Amino acid sequence: MAKYTVKRLLQSLLTVFIIVSIVFVLMRMLPTDYYFTEEQQMKYDEETKHDMLQAAGLLDPIPTQLFRFYRGLLRLDFGESRRIQTGVSVWSIVAGKFTISMRLGLIAMAISLAVGVILGVLQARQKDRLMDHVGTVYTVFVNSVPPLVSYSLVLAFGARILKLPSLYSNRNPGPSSILPIACLALTSIAHYALWTRRYMVDESTKDYIKLARIKGMSSQSIMVRHVLKNAFVPLAQYIPASLLLTLGGSLLVERFFSVPGMGTLMTDAINRYDTNVVQGCVFLYASLGIIGVFLGDILMMILDPRIKLAGGGETR
Amino acid sequence: MSKVNQDELFRVVEYSADAAERIGYSNYSYWRSVWHNFLKKKSAVFMAIVFIVLVVFTFIALAIGKYQYTELVSNRETTFLGPCAEYWFGTDNLGRDYWCQVWYAAQVSIKLALVVAVGEAIVGVAIGCLWGYVRWLDRPLTELYNVINNIPTVIYMTLVALIVGQGFGIMATAMIAIGWLVMARNVRNLVLMYRDREYNLASRCLGTPVWRVLVKNIFPYLISVIILRLALSIPGTIALESTLSYLGLGLGAATPSLGLLLRNARNFFLDYPYLLIEPAVIVSLITVTFYLVGNAVSDAADPRNHV
Repeated sequence: MAKYTVKRLLQSLLTVFIIVSIVFVLMRMLPTDYYFTEEQQMKYDEETKHDMLQAAGLLDPIPTQLFRFYRGLLRLDFGESRRIQTGVSVWSIVAGKFTISMRLGLIAMAISLAVGVILGVLQARQKDRLMDHVGTVYTVFVNSVPPLVSYSLVLAFGARILKLPSLYSNRNPGPSSILPIACLALTSIAHYALWTRRYMVDESTKDYIKLARIKGMSSQSIMVRHVLKNAFVPLAQYIPASLLLTLGGSLLVERFFSVPGMGTLMTDAINRYDTNVVQGCVFLYASLGIIGVFLGDILMMILDPRIKLAGGGETR
Repeated sequence: MSKVNQDELFRVVEYSADAAERIGYSNYSYWRSVWHNFLKKKSAVFMAIVFIVLVVFTFIALAIGKYQYTELVSNRETTFLGPCAEYWFGTDNLGRDYWCQVWYAAQVSIKLALVVAVGEAIVGVAIGCLWGYVRWLDRPLTELYNVINNIPTVIYMTLVALIVGQGFGIMATAMIAIGWLVMARNVRNLVLMYRDREYNLASRCLGTPVWRVLVKNIFPYLISVIILRLALSIPGTIALESTLSYLGLGLGAATPSLGLLLRNARNFFLDYPYLLIEPAVIVSLITVTFYLVGNAVSDAADPRNHV
């Protein structure tokens, strides 16, 4: 177990390292003009700009820059923002945005886990009856309609009929986060419901359930004590990953409601070529995703003693 | 039970060379079974008809519309007109005809989705077969999968848009370049499952070439999964395109796409709901019908559901 954990951890680190390197090289392929704000573009002539780039080390050959970047990476230092907030360190920009995304993400996740699992259980219990069909229609809708369209519908409904604020604002974080949270939860509820239903239906045809029925256990307690307990194990595997990814915020939801969170920061940084901020964000996203998958596997092993990943080493 | 009765039951059959060669379902044809199974589902057939009519109608709609997309000009006097005889879908904030914009956008979305789906399927199945069949390729391809799969799609597409540029071809290529992963993964898992079954071992011992084992023995098991993946890929592509266009990283401002329309409409549709409803209904119809049809075809294509 310990050996397996260490091996997986090292593998995860290597993957993050490769991703960050690829993105670094890609960002360095952009024209250097982008390193200046419009104001700076007009103020400085070519020579000054060249000197500034030289001083910042941005004209060095890419391997040299990459090496310098790795040294920063060891100390988790991504340098300073060049364009979003000139001269402020990447970490302090990210930290501010992080809390906003995290608040929305955690609430949305709690709601969707609760609602999604309950919906899935109801569907599984009433298989092929009304509740099941309602749930299926909902899952098909979420899976096939583009999120932009469904968010627009949520917005139209929320703002016109419920009179909720249509844009996020920091002065009024309570009511104005209802719609973004609803949008975030909309898709993940369907996800949890779908998988809960599927695992429960699979589980309830097994022999030990038949035995429990023959013994005369009430179907209520079979559902809760046997079926749900076992069906929850594969579901639990995804919880850490989605928990950590909510911290990163959703690009579309945040843009759609002008939430000043991680997602908006990321697109802003890329649009304005703030390479250091992009690096920091990509590193954060990649590591959150990979750590999430890793924790999910560990959690599954803890929950279900039958699962032993260490032997095969293949988790996928 | 009497003795006479048992003799009746176990009568020796005369040997006949003809009967010995006969097999159970001699006139079985894979695709005919798929077709029959599909036709049994009336709702899916209906959905398929709706989908095809919609796709055909995107072309007709542009032809019968009173305005051509390329000739649209902004006009201050006709802003925010509701649907009427002159402007069938009303006009947008710049007073341009909305009918031709909506249908043009729908057509662009469908084209992109189909191109990406076909590209994904070809690349994904080819690589997936190699990945599953050739043992030493498993390790490097799995690592490659992990790396690409962990870069958030939107970040990747954004970098492509900024470094390479924006446009239909670029976007389709970029989407295929990342979309084949899921297809290849699914195919690989199945190939791995079936490659060492006894009948394949027997086939190999008899000297069947590898390509024939793949195409004749394994491929029929893959069709159902490939179709299911396509059914998910088309709504997925349309969703990704609209997301990117909304973020300003899509097909570029010159090509109207669903994302661009909704982005323009974002500030106005609370007051003029038709700006949202028209494109939303059309695109949802396309994606939902395709998703359901794809699922039905995938069920019909599964050989385990045949006969």
